Amino acid sequence: MKLIDSMAYSSPEEMMFGFAKKPVTTKSGLVIGGGSVIPEITTHPRPGKEHDLATLSRELERANFDALQRCVSVGHPSIVIENEHVFQMTNNPEWGAEISSISCQMIADFKSKYGLNAAYRSTIADIRKPDLVNLRDSERTEKVIESFKLCAKTADIVSIESLGGKEVFDHCIIRNDITGLLFSQAVLGGRDMQWLWQQIVEIATENQCVPGGDTDCAQANTAMFMAGGFDGKDIPHTLAALTRAIGASRSLVAYECGALGPGKDCAYENPIIKAITGVPISTEGKTSACAHSDLCGNVIAAVCDLWSNEAVQYQNMFGGSSAAVFTEILGYDTAAMNSSIMLGFEKQYQACLINSDRYRDPQAFILCPDNAWSIGKAIVDNANSLYERGRAAAITCGELILADEQLMLTAIEKKSLLGYMQELNTLPDNEADFIDLCLHKYQKVKGFLPAAYGL
Amino acid sequence: MEKNHKNTSIFTRFDLTTEEEEQGARKVSSDPLLQKVGSCVIEGDDDQIEQAVTEALQNKSPLVVTNEGLIAGMTEVSRLWAEGSYFLPQVILSSDAMVVGIKLCEQKLGHPMDKKAKVITHTAEGDIHDIGQVIVNALLSANGFEVINLGFDVPVDQVVSACITHQPIMLTGTALMTTTMSAFPRIAEKLIQENIHIPFVCGGGAVTEEYVTSFDLGIWGKEASQAPGMAEDVLKGLSWLELRQKWNG
Amino acid sequence: MTTFAIAFDIGTSGIRAQVIEQQSQEIIATVITARHPIPGANVIDHLHFALEMGINSTQRILVQCINQIIKSFPIDHKQIMRMSVCGNPIQLSLFQGIEIRDLAFAGKQKQQALGISTVNREALITNAGQIKYLNLSDQCEVIIPPAVQHEIGADALAMIIQSNMLESKETTLITDYGTNAEMALLHNGCIYSGSTAAGPALEGQQINSGMLAAPGAITDILEEPPYYRLCVLDAEMNTVNGPLIEFNTNTVIDPHSEYPIRGITGTGTIAAMFQAMSKGLIHKAQINTPDNKLHLGSNITFNNHDFHEAGKAIGAIRAGHISLCNAAGISLSDISVAYMSGASGTYMDAHKAQQLGLIPTQIKKVYQIGNTSLAMAKDLLTDSSQLQQMTELATQLQENHCMFARSDVFKKVFMLELAYWTEGMPWSLYQKFLKKYQLPAIAEELSQAEIVQTVTRDINTLGSHGLTTLTNIGQKLDAHMNGCIACQSCTVECPEQAIKLSSTNGVAMITLNQSLCNGVACKRCEQVCSDQYFKLSQFFK
Repeated sequence: MKLIDSMAYSSPEEMMFGFAKKPVTTKSGLVIGGGSVIPEITTHPRPGKEHDLATLSRELERANFDALQRCVSVGHPSIVIENEHVFQMTNNPEWGAEISSISCQMIADFKSKYGLNAAYRSTIADIRKPDLVNLRDSERTEKVIESFKLCAKTADIVSIESLGGKEVFDHCIIRNDITGLLFSQAVLGGRDMQWLWQQIVEIATENQCVPGGDTDCAQANTAMFMAGGFDGKDIPHTLAALTRAIGASRSLVAYECGALGPGKDCAYENPIIKAITGVPISTEGKTSACAHSDLCGNVIAAVCDLWSNEAVQYQNMFGGSSAAVFTEILGYDTAAMNSSIMLGFEKQYQACLINSDRYRDPQAFILCPDNAWSIGKAIVDNANSLYERGRAAAITCGELILADEQLMLTAIEKKSLLGYMQELNTLPDNEADFIDLCLHKYQKVKGFLPAAYGL
Repeated sequence: MEKNHKNTSIFTRFDLTTEEEEQGARKVSSDPLLQKVGSCVIEGDDDQIEQAVTEALQNKSPLVVTNEGLIAGMTEVSRLWAEGSYFLPQVILSSDAMVVGIKLCEQKLGHPMDKKAKVITHTAEGDIHDIGQVIVNALLSANGFEVINLGFDVPVDQVVSACITHQPIMLTGTALMTTTMSAFPRIAEKLIQENIHIPFVCGGGAVTEEYVTSFDLGIWGKEASQAPGMAEDVLKGLSWLELRQKWNG
Repeated sequence: MTTFAIAFDIGTSGIRAQVIEQQSQEIIATVITARHPIPGANVIDHLHFALEMGINSTQRILVQCINQIIKSFPIDHKQIMRMSVCGNPIQLSLFQGIEIRDLAFAGKQKQQALGISTVNREALITNAGQIKYLNLSDQCEVIIPPAVQHEIGADALAMIIQSNMLESKETTLITDYGTNAEMALLHNGCIYSGSTAAGPALEGQQINSGMLAAPGAITDILEEPPYYRLCVLDAEMNTVNGPLIEFNTNTVIDPHSEYPIRGITGTGTIAAMFQAMSKGLIHKAQINTPDNKLHLGSNITFNNHDFHEAGKAIGAIRAGHISLCNAAGISLSDISVAYMSGASGTYMDAHKAQQLGLIPTQIKKVYQIGNTSLAMAKDLLTDSSQLQQMTELATQLQENHCMFARSDVFKKVFMLELAYWTEGMPWSLYQKFLKKYQLPAIAEELSQAEIVQTVTRDINTLGSHGLTTLTNIGQKLDAHMNGCIACQSCTVECPEQAIKLSSTNGVAMITLNQSLCNGVACKRCEQVCSDQYFKLSQFFK
């Protein structure tokens, strides 16, 4: 498969929230990336509600209804509702399909009743755990594909958080092994996505459904969680930043296979993806504190098209259900961004978002549009192989961090980063050699099956 | 367009600020003489402490030298220990240096300095392993308590009579061997007979929580480092039973 | 008429004995017990038991077990003409039924209060009639070796003599890596000795999943990148490959055998410490895995507490070594040869031990010599000059015996060890403190020591009848506890399942398997009894 070798944006200054080079229109008629930012609410069932379809469906129906109703209440003009499948929704493909169908019908009702513009994103659960099953050939794989087929019939957008390479990643992240991270994310993750996404795009297209995008949640976000805050030291924050850059080279594969965006909200690598591809993206920051903490709560909104909350469990709060409350928060955030566009202050508003976090943490620093663009450039300039571009992304990311005098690093962060850079620089130049090296080095990792990646 | 936000209202890089602090002790006084006294305590410098205190005493009162030099230095040591950049041997050195300094101040003052309260420490009758007690002594002194150190191999009756004489707020006992720890319940029993209901913190070697909490007054000391915290609690008015409920179980 | 002689080593975890044919001096048979008959897990427990239950009943338990061993020898017992024993002063005193309180209370004040004068533990040749309960003909000669103070006994003398270290021209260190680690340093013809309460961590006790060597015990951990291979003892006590594991999770990569893993021994503990330290898994004295534990397969973990306990044991031994060197005016690096004795010292991986600081870093040659007590006892049977040699050595040791509990150097260094192992004090600071205390620095580079294992197992020659292990030792004692309502709390509470409840004519009777009992340091049976009817002492009246 030919890898992308040019940038959609010729400079980072061109990138702005609400505007994508290649906007997307859903079958419900919502335009994403066409000049305004739209909230994307992800609702989630309470534990215990997933045991049977009737209960689960009622739970999500209520949550999604509350979100739509709150839009009407406070006057948010448009919204995307996302459901990330719990295991049962994909393991029983008809469940996910049923919930998608109900949600889309509800959206249509709100449109006819109030004129609310909304769309539904169905995110299939990747139940193919690489250490349990052969990613390409298992009953679970069939269920994932079947879920796409059934959900695409009604949903406006389909997405997935694919798990390729996760088994090797988990082994390597706790060992601070950058070589293995590069292998698991760029090579294994990328190869799995090439196999998976061609099928997703074909299914979605047949159903007039938008093939949205993927995310390196399983890997780069794991690193981000482990790095934690300023008080967390399980792994260096610089390592988490490198995995993010590598993750971009991986998630890019979806768009090479024909995905159109919007990218998944939890893909913090999306600013890099947008710089390369021009597709609209969904991001999440301060608004996803309900699900996890991050160190880039504002800057991550700088070039978003959908503004999301990751996932909020359905609960009652003083101000209504969590679905309604978060819809309200997201909608006001996007209203402010859209106002800045209308007033012509969007550059200034964006500068505020960026400057709030630029030097908070290396992970935030590399997602500022200028740095995201530079990492994207390194990716397209090394389009010979998944490996080469992943490695180039990591090296460029590390160089950017080291080069900026205002970005302060603790001694241990800096020492760790220099170590990773040295290791990255001594790796083989071409992919075949790198794969040979890694197949030998990681052959014993539990559950790692090279054949599942066509190796 | 970007500015360095390291120290603005936008965010604080606590990873950096805490890192910087780990690299060294904070200043304890703006007065150079008192700072020197504080530094000697922080460094555990038993060679220089006498000279530093003597110099400071030439134009400062013993109380000021004690509180703003010696104790301020020790407070900084405790902070460094708590944050993990100082270690036990350093704390003990500092405590020793502080005690030397306080003695000099007391000489000048002509009478002993007021301490927080008295604590009696001992190592059980028959036991000669007193390293745990040495640590307890240093930490209690460092925290401003007056330590009545009865030493090692102390007969039961001597412990009890010392409690009658000194009226401490707390008693500690250390034992390495299970064979010698049987002195503890006997001490507790005699204290109760004498109507002395002070907490009796027992720890060391083979001394177990089950054993110590099986007799009245007994509180199990898991680590020597708990002693000052326990003594502070007693000062706050906790009874032996409340102390046990807080620190044991 | 063929006559026989019998040798006994009374150890902390069990008794070992051999019978030899007197004329040919040939070993006929070896008998060991799986446990020590006196309730308790270690020698201090045994001592404590004797203090509470009386020396007489304690002696009876011990000697009855010895009688049981004698009975199991495949010979005519009337033809036993000589017996020798070796062991630490506590065990030998219990065997003789003499004063033990001076051993329990090292403090002079307490000793005076108890009215104990100096106890004579010089070498003694007596006859069996003088040893209460001993089932041998009265004329049978009994040889009891001497002890030096209370800290160093015949077992330590045996270690020094049997190792032949005294013939060494080089500076030589010997250590028995037991609960009470005895050690001696030979330098320029002088012997400096000491003994430190290392605690039982290096014997697998006080460790969460710790156990003595038995089937299912982890004895070593080998690296098989990126994983680790557990070495375990099988039913025949052979070390075999166990599961392939990773430390971070309880995932077993390759179970290898279905043999159930039950725990970890002292040598396994050393291996776990070594692997964790050398792989950088220890940060500020904490195990740096997601749940702060090393997972050793699916059900065994090694936690921070275990790390600290084992660290303190290692620290006590290194502090002892440094103190001996200080007494001799040398540094650790001046020691050329190290002997490792005792079961732990024999089976532990010497390289790993050196890395952890259990033997000096600059050592040139290491000998792992096994248990020397039984060999000493056997030599006492056949060579009358040996007893004299032990006495002379005992006298010599008194000159330079170092009482660590009262040694400033030991206390200072042990405090550094405490900070190093439990607080994560950096090694550089440790060295700085040594300098401040005017002690020589510890060389950090490891020498490539030559390692010589003089034995392949604890007891080298078993004799024509081979080895017999007595598992059913000690007695089952019945007692009725006044007021007992047969609620079974005690039987449930007992960690060793040593207590059984039965009823005779409606009266609740409690049966104690005395050799399983953990002794007076445990007494969970007494504490759990709601109305305190249970009294352990009832069994030993």
